[in-house]
Amino acid sequence: MSRNAEEWSKPPRFPSSHYVDTRLYTDEGILREERERIFAHTWIIACHESEIANPHDYRTFQHPAGVGLVVARGGDGAVRAFYNICPHRGNVLVHDPSGSARVFTCIFHSWTFDECGNCTGIARRREGYQERLTPADVGLRRVRCEVGFGGFVWVNVDDGAPPLRDFVGDALDSLLPFLEQPLEVFHFQKVVVNSNFKLWHDTNSEFYHDYMHYFNRVTGMQQPGYFERKYVPHRNGHAAVGSMKVRYDAYQGGAERQVGWPGLTPGGWILVDLFPGMTYNLRTSVIRMDTAIPLAPNRTLIELRGLGLKSDTPEERQARVRDHNTIWGPFGRNLHEDFLGVTGQGRAMRDAASGSRWVLHAREESNGIHDEIGMRHYYAEWGRRMERSASDPFAERAQGDAAPAPRGAVKS
Amino acid sequence: MSRERLVESVVYQSALLLDGRDFQGYLELCEPDFRYVIGAYSPEIRREMVWLDHDKAGLQTLFETLPRHNSDHSPLTRHVTVYRVEVATDGASASAISALQVFRTALDGGATELYAVGKIHDSLRIADGQARLSRRHIKLDTRMLGIGSHIPL
Repeated sequence: MSRNAEEWSKPPRFPSSHYVDTRLYTDEGILREERERIFAHTWIIACHESEIANPHDYRTFQHPAGVGLVVARGGDGAVRAFYNICPHRGNVLVHDPSGSARVFTCIFHSWTFDECGNCTGIARRREGYQERLTPADVGLRRVRCEVGFGGFVWVNVDDGAPPLRDFVGDALDSLLPFLEQPLEVFHFQKVVVNSNFKLWHDTNSEFYHDYMHYFNRVTGMQQPGYFERKYVPHRNGHAAVGSMKVRYDAYQGGAERQVGWPGLTPGGWILVDLFPGMTYNLRTSVIRMDTAIPLAPNRTLIELRGLGLKSDTPEERQARVRDHNTIWGPFGRNLHEDFLGVTGQGRAMRDAASGSRWVLHAREESNGIHDEIGMRHYYAEWGRRMERSASDPFAERAQGDAAPAPRGAVKS
Repeated sequence: MSRERLVESVVYQSALLLDGRDFQGYLELCEPDFRYVIGAYSPEIRREMVWLDHDKAGLQTLFETLPRHNSDHSPLTRHVTVYRVEVATDGASASAISALQVFRTALDGGATELYAVGKIHDSLRIADGQARLSRRHIKLDTRMLGIGSHIPL
């Protein structure tokens, strides 16, 4: 039976942990606070080490807290990260998304910086600044940076945040045995969608939407073992999904994948969602990594990476690229459908006047593949960091504390 | 019709057929060993990327399975200009380079936006007064394709 306005706006008859208020996805203030309370204190993947493989290679990254970074490998092999901002007049220091440079020179006034962030040159310094300013006063702003968990380059703009290991905890334990060999990025794509970053992560955090993917229905949902996959919640809002055997030959024109992954059961599939917007997805022969970066409440930049093994032969790499593109490439079967799904949510939630207030996360199937525990677990962590309830985000905070307070990872 | 004109005609016809979603007609322009590739160079990772790579049978499957997938149904319109045609000295094969612009028109309201630009690199065989595509490699300049598409370019 359809519902009238009053019935439509009533909270669902579930525990408050089982639904969220859609203003989480549309409100400017919420996003501003997410940047302050979450992204400014969380480890985020900036790139992969294979993108800066050689000494002096660099790569830029738009950090979701709202600042541009440059990640650089020094001549000593160490990877460091800095604000991509010249401290002189606030200009972008490095313009190209990647490259190789022993010295970063700001094009604006020719100030120079070395790979450790030291200022090494100020044009006509003595004439203009006399002894009032020295290069030591104007080094780059260094950002914490660690390489790990498959060779990804992680950054954290909070100097006091717990180490990466504490943030990840045991969330990636099921995947670590398959990340021991060096990896290499072969695919990189940026996509901007009119939807909230959490909605993209939600899509990666529930498999119930396999009903949207014909490919997944025939190769997965209709195969033995599909409903035995379990969601495992981990500390800090992360969640992992166990493996099954995907039958790629069940899709018309498909065939069992020719290359697998060292140690992984043929047809295997492991997925790990990391708070607040990253997903490792090892599917038989390829790893996909998603990083969601909010641009506005209803606008998100998603960085998509495809990775194979650095040791791949040309034939193996070609097979992995083909496998990747079949479902995850820009013309693949599943990616386009996922974007249709998440932009549809963005359209529906954009209009506050619709009174479309609630999103259900209420499926309970013993943490099985169509259970929505992944999202419930995520929003519990979101609520902890934001000190807000995801189902009632504008209720008064328990302690009346409206001021943002940094909230880091829970240490092990 | 000159061989150069034959080649141009096939390139333009292929765009018209795809615009009209006449996928069978498009495949009839292709040799049995046809190979279709879409790629792009990524300045971010400093690599050539392959985003779609199909033989004729693979393309056939892609087209046949389209109705089973959820797709954006906004029409794509291709604007192609053949820049250069080179016919082999024996007249049995040719290559062509064309500029490609693809526009997407929203079903709701009909707003048109630029979807992708790039170049089409074609190889063709010529026999019995007909030219057929043996290889098409689309090299995209555009790498941000929004929500993407299930339809090849």
